Amino acid sequence: MATIQVNKKYAFRWYEKFYFMSITAGLWVTLKHFIKSAFLRRMVTVQYPEQKKPLSSRFRGLHRLKRNEKGQERCTACYCCQWVCPADAIHIVAAEVPPERQYLHPEDKYAKVFQVDLLRCIYCGLCEEACPKGAIYLDGGLPLPADSRDALILNKEQMLEPTGGPIIGERL
Amino acid sequence: MDSLDKQLSNRIAVKIGAMAKIWVDGVEYEVDEKKNLIDALKEKGVEIPHFCYHPKLSVVGMCRICLIEIEGVPKFQAACNTPIKDGMKINAFGEKIVKAREGVMEFLLINHPLDCPVCDKAGECRLQDYSFKLGHETTRYKEEKRNIPQEKIGTNLYINHNRCILCYRCVRFDREIVGVNDLEMLSRGNDTIIAYVPPETEKEKSPYLNHNYQGALADICPVGALLNESTLFRSRVWWYESKESHCHGCATLCRVTANLKNNAIYRYMPPQHPERDGYFICDYGRFSTHDFSQNRLYAYRRSGTKIRSQEALAQLAELLAQAKRIAVLGGGSESCTDVDALAELVGKLRDAGKTVQWDFRSNAQAFYSGNAQWDFLLSKDLRPNAAYLRQKNATDFADFTALEKELGQAELILVVGELSPPYAYQTGKIYAHVKGLKIPTSVEQTELYQALDTHNAWPKTVLLTTHADSAADKALLAIPIQSFVEKSGRFCDKEGNFKETTVLLRPVQGLRSSGEIWQSIPALEPVGVA
Repeated sequence: MATIQVNKKYAFRWYEKFYFMSITAGLWVTLKHFIKSAFLRRMVTVQYPEQKKPLSSRFRGLHRLKRNEKGQERCTACYCCQWVCPADAIHIVAAEVPPERQYLHPEDKYAKVFQVDLLRCIYCGLCEEACPKGAIYLDGGLPLPADSRDALILNKEQMLEPTGGPIIGERL
Repeated sequence: MDSLDKQLSNRIAVKIGAMAKIWVDGVEYEVDEKKNLIDALKEKGVEIPHFCYHPKLSVVGMCRICLIEIEGVPKFQAACNTPIKDGMKINAFGEKIVKAREGVMEFLLINHPLDCPVCDKAGECRLQDYSFKLGHETTRYKEEKRNIPQEKIGTNLYINHNRCILCYRCVRFDREIVGVNDLEMLSRGNDTIIAYVPPETEKEKSPYLNHNYQGALADICPVGALLNESTLFRSRVWWYESKESHCHGCATLCRVTANLKNNAIYRYMPPQHPERDGYFICDYGRFSTHDFSQNRLYAYRRSGTKIRSQEALAQLAELLAQAKRIAVLGGGSESCTDVDALAELVGKLRDAGKTVQWDFRSNAQAFYSGNAQWDFLLSKDLRPNAAYLRQKNATDFADFTALEKELGQAELILVVGELSPPYAYQTGKIYAHVKGLKIPTSVEQTELYQALDTHNAWPKTVLLTTHADSAADKALLAIPIQSFVEKSGRFCDKEGNFKETTVLLRPVQGLRSSGEIWQSIPALEPVGVA
């Protein structure tokens, strides 16, 4: 059996052979938090979900369907998001706007069914980019756990904002 | 003799048209002088953009997108309206002309709402294509666009006035091809709209346009102004898988492009080579495809209960052996191979000394006399293979009453595809409007079903059908067969040409065509020789 000769380019100094500096560097965050919570009485963890940390403005979380300045739904069921979705998470059924809900839509076509399967969604944000109307944004925060698979399929009522939203092309 | 030859050759030369040499952007082409310039150049691979020009319609030159510059002519000319002249030098894609087309595009888009996400035409829209190709990214038009609400003008047709570019194609199509004078341009200038005006010759003025070519109207519309109600918002066009086949609707057997999704036919569109296969298809065939993927029969049934196929076929063989007087109805929806197998069976039964009467027609309208056409496309033989059955002499009854009488007397009745949609009836809303043609909406309304009811003939009826309806429950034996779109086969059109269809939908595994059923009947040879 031949052995492999490893050519070490770097020879340890005598104090490096104790590995003390390396271990301290590796455990530095842990040590910092230990000191903070044990001696300085400052909590490091957050009591989620009662307490929430602020998210980045670019954070991609739950989907939300936006309304325009008049409170009408922006989505016109053009299927661009469904088409672009790499995970096939979006399901849309388009329909003609009935007269009784004409005031809710700026166009003749609307999404009768708009579902997002959170179990399939990979939160890539392509739907946001594909939408020509600025109707869908992933700014709904962190997805919550659920008891069943059905509960993780978002429907239109869960995603629609109650009243107006930001202007097209703008995120919260 | 010599002069006659000369005369003949002259005549032929006039018919074809003399060849003319023209130059397009410096490239020399030899084209037919009698042809339209757009067509002639298209054959040579030069595509001049156009909206209002259509090879089958008269030339109006309304859209101005086909502008070209001709050497020696001071102004730009519309290519569709320019006769070909020998030695003509054309500037079709030069700098000046591109700028002119950009300007025309800007004019066309002044009132266009650019609502492509909502519009069903998006993806197959000429305006969209040319806007990307020839137009400008931004608009200089700051004033308010006109806004006229969408209107229903046909029984199956919507018009969106905002999207309309007033190319006049629909009006010309109705006047020149369909032969009804019912679409008209109203108002002037910015307020011009296309409107439905009931023709004065019509006695009962219909509130909506109601001819058999509303689908074709939506097709020839170069923008999304005319749309069909039946396909409104059902799918975006880029999701379809397209396959070419022939229409199942009638003996004309038009070539069509079928748009498929999820193993269902969404719509028929005109063929991909219309100059060879025809530009238009009628509503009767086009809007009756949804039945092919709904409510199908997949199990063999005896009086409504499911049985095994061997039992059913054995019983069918026994019935054929015992019966002395047999009526065979149908076969017109089956391919030539299937009809050949049926003809072989009928021949064998006749050889065995039985009285067999075979007719492919099963309703009163099918026994027509005189004019064989409903309109310029739709044949009165509403079965794809009717012409082939006429060749096979499957016309034993003089009229429908003779057929009804036979139903009472026959000992066995074989019904081959004559009680299945979309031939016998069509479910859902009927979108085809053919004057005088009644299309039942359920199997109970069909004449054959009612005749079988009145003569109490269900216990002696063997039904080969594609659909699980009440006829399949009532018949003594119901045998599932493949539908028109689930098999490929040869069909004979009304002019005697044989045409090959392609498989559009995947059939369920094990489902047999009617020809395979006839061939798989066990022990047919010793049929009642004694």
